[in-house]
Amino acid sequence: MPQDLPPAGGYEPIQYKRNLPARGFRPSLVLLGVAGIMTYGFWKVGKGIREQNELAREKMWSRIHLIPLLTAEEDRDLVRRHFADQAREKELLGSSTSPYNSDRFVRPTYAVTPSKASN
Amino acid sequence: MSGRKPVFNQTTLIDTTPLPADIPRVTEIGASSAPLLSASFFIGARCKPYNDDFMQCKTENAGQGEIKCLKEGRRVTRCAKSVIEDVNKHCLAEFRKHWTCLDDNNQQLWQCRPQEWKLNKCVFDNLKLEKVIPDTPAGETSVHLRTRQIYSHHNSGP
Repeated sequence: MPQDLPPAGGYEPIQYKRNLPARGFRPSLVLLGVAGIMTYGFWKVGKGIREQNELAREKMWSRIHLIPLLTAEEDRDLVRRHFADQAREKELLGSSTSPYNSDRFVRPTYAVTPSKASN
Repeated sequence: MSGRKPVFNQTTLIDTTPLPADIPRVTEIGASSAPLLSASFFIGARCKPYNDDFMQCKTENAGQGEIKCLKEGRRVTRCAKSVIEDVNKHCLAEFRKHWTCLDDNNQQLWQCRPQEWKLNKCVFDNLKLEKVIPDTPAGETSVHLRTRQIYSHHNSGP
């Protein structure tokens, strides 16, 4: 029985390389494109953040202009209630004694409601 | 059940005792948040001295400012009231358009720039009050004057 030998002229070369086509742009170009898109995006984000800061400052200043007005109105209401409280206390107890050991104005914890509904 | 009429009582059960007679009356501003926001920079432009006075009084009388700064507070309210009245007298249509727009847009100022420009122009022409946002970075257009508001939903030019 003859020996098993390679064919005459040797074997065909073995294809060990993949034979896939390289699709798309060059990797360097893709990288460049991504970098470009990211730069544009961050530029837009930066602009947006700066605009937001400006808008926040605008809102802040509009509040700053209004706060004295709103505070004045609320203070007047508080003082009105405070004086009414004191007058009531004077009327009921004959004297008004502060329960606090300081002369600071204390926002009342409890509101006194009149016994009769006022219409 | 009971024969009582169901009513909300938070509007009637309030202490209505007026201030003592020796404290002068003052008409409250009587405007809601949108008109106040719309007019805030004009109030700031005309009433800054009074506002500063009031805030200084409150700072100097910490803890007692409520009672001691009533006079300054009245001035602040009268001044703001005068601004609102003047704007109402001269620019009612523009004012109304702007604050209804603010009301409709969650009080976001940048949604209502076209109306705001009209109001600002009218107020400047008639009352000489200008909207200026302090501390704008040098070399930049103030944010309320930019023709393109990038956060606005409806971006149409000036």
